[in-house]
Amino acid sequence: MTGSLLAARGLEYTYSGGIVALRDLDLSVGRGRKLAILGPNGSGKTTLLLHLNGTLRPTRGEILIDGRPARYDRRAINHWRRRVGLVLQEPDDQLFAATVEQDVSFGPLNLGISESATRERVREALEALRISHLAGRATHTLSFGQKKRVAIAGVLAMRPELLVLDEPTAGLDPHGVTHLLGALQQLHEAGTTLVFSTHDVELAYAWADEVALFHDGAVLVQGETTAVLGDGEALRRARLRPPLLLEVAQALPEKDGDGAPGVPPRSREALLTWLRNRFCQSGAGSVNRCDEPAPGHCARRAAD
Amino acid sequence: MRAIDHYAWTNRWRDRHPAEKLLPAGGLLVLTLLLPPLTTGPLVLVGTALATVGGAGVPLRAFLAMLAAPAAFLLAGAPFLAMSISFADGFDLHFPAEGARLALSTTVRALAAVSCLTFLTLTTPLVDWVPLLRRAGIPASVIELILLMYRLIFVFAERALTGRRAQAARLGYARFDRGVRSAGLLAGNLFQRALAQARRLEIGLAARGYTGELRVLRPEQPLSWPRLAAGAALVGLIGLLGGLLARGWP
Repeated sequence: MTGSLLAARGLEYTYSGGIVALRDLDLSVGRGRKLAILGPNGSGKTTLLLHLNGTLRPTRGEILIDGRPARYDRRAINHWRRRVGLVLQEPDDQLFAATVEQDVSFGPLNLGISESATRERVREALEALRISHLAGRATHTLSFGQKKRVAIAGVLAMRPELLVLDEPTAGLDPHGVTHLLGALQQLHEAGTTLVFSTHDVELAYAWADEVALFHDGAVLVQGETTAVLGDGEALRRARLRPPLLLEVAQALPEKDGDGAPGVPPRSREALLTWLRNRFCQSGAGSVNRCDEPAPGHCARRAAD
Repeated sequence: MRAIDHYAWTNRWRDRHPAEKLLPAGGLLVLTLLLPPLTTGPLVLVGTALATVGGAGVPLRAFLAMLAAPAAFLLAGAPFLAMSISFADGFDLHFPAEGARLALSTTVRALAAVSCLTFLTLTTPLVDWVPLLRRAGIPASVIELILLMYRLIFVFAERALTGRRAQAARLGYARFDRGVRSAGLLAGNLFQRALAQARRLEIGLAARGYTGELRVLRPEQPLSWPRLAAGAALVGLIGLLGGLLARGWP
């Protein structure tokens, strides 16, 4: 595909023990997109992500950067990793320095920029993840969620074009997830392309522009989120279930009257609004049901 | 160890330049070694306690707890310093007066010296020493190793603790022989995980452009001359007092 920042063509990878992790895999990361790599645990998602920054070299097939085949000499790899930042799932695999500020400074200093510029980048990265208050803290005293954000900040401080995150929400509580996604959303709006792996269908549905459905070392299908996650057959093959929001929307009867199906809701709030709109317009009996959660809203809709 | 680390990171003097702490600690240590211990030792102990508790805000209990272990060793050793054994005619063990004085002065001197180091340990986290180590000409790879170990100790201590709890929950330590077996299994498991962790850490560091050197920002701790002078004054005062007291003043 033209215009993609990074792509995989016919990727195959076999571990030294003979275990085949990827087989004939195609993937394309479009510039400025939010791509979810969605698949069950143990399906090879992490192995794929390790190919995206040149950590692993495919047994067969190739990675294309800006449409050109990737090279694996030292200079090319350095340049590659400058553009593509990888955040591992387990923050303790990535944080090595004693303080937060020092750990985040590691990447920028490796880029060869000055200490004062590095300080500025560290400040900026911590601010982007809303953890400026942790700058002087000892790494080992942080909570899991805090470590996770520091790990992301450490990659972010290198200002990559493409940020690859392995299971970014795994192990976070709901508040932590909201906090992290808010920060990532801001990065995305500022122009960073995002790729993240997850087994959480709801997360992919709520947050990704595009989904690559992953199963048994290959991408079954890649496309717009609603299209891929509306494909029940493909989901079943990947051993996943459709997102609840979509299932609820699909299970409801067609709206009588104008009958337009409309855009299915992508978030909890959108679903609630959507349900109210549907039921409040369809008759007196339904209005009563709406009275409890949002009487004012329903009364207004009914009066229209 | 957890407690030491905690106070080192959270005390009031945490962000001060390490030299400001090294100067009084080193100065008092030298006084302890040079001047007669019975008069200077207690003064040094009071000085380090004041600096640690009054200055840096570390609880007195933590300071005393840290002194307790070496103190126990010193007290256990003192009787052997005090006694005198002679084999001139048969076996003769007695406690001469000068032996008691020797034991007392050695114990006081050692305790005072340890208190200087206690002050440093409780007020300065390990990372702060790195710039000084670098200036002292310690090779970068050795310093990196120290820092990595410092970080990973906590990762593995955590894993060892949870691993032990999980084993205990399945009665792994219910009997002595079970306990020995469980501890062995845990050690083997931790070793394997350490290797796996090292491999993953390498991937994580490589992703951030690691090329063989773990360079990070130096902490910003401007050296304050007034505070350095105050430290020197404390050393001078205790030295003067100790010297005068030793001569029988007043």
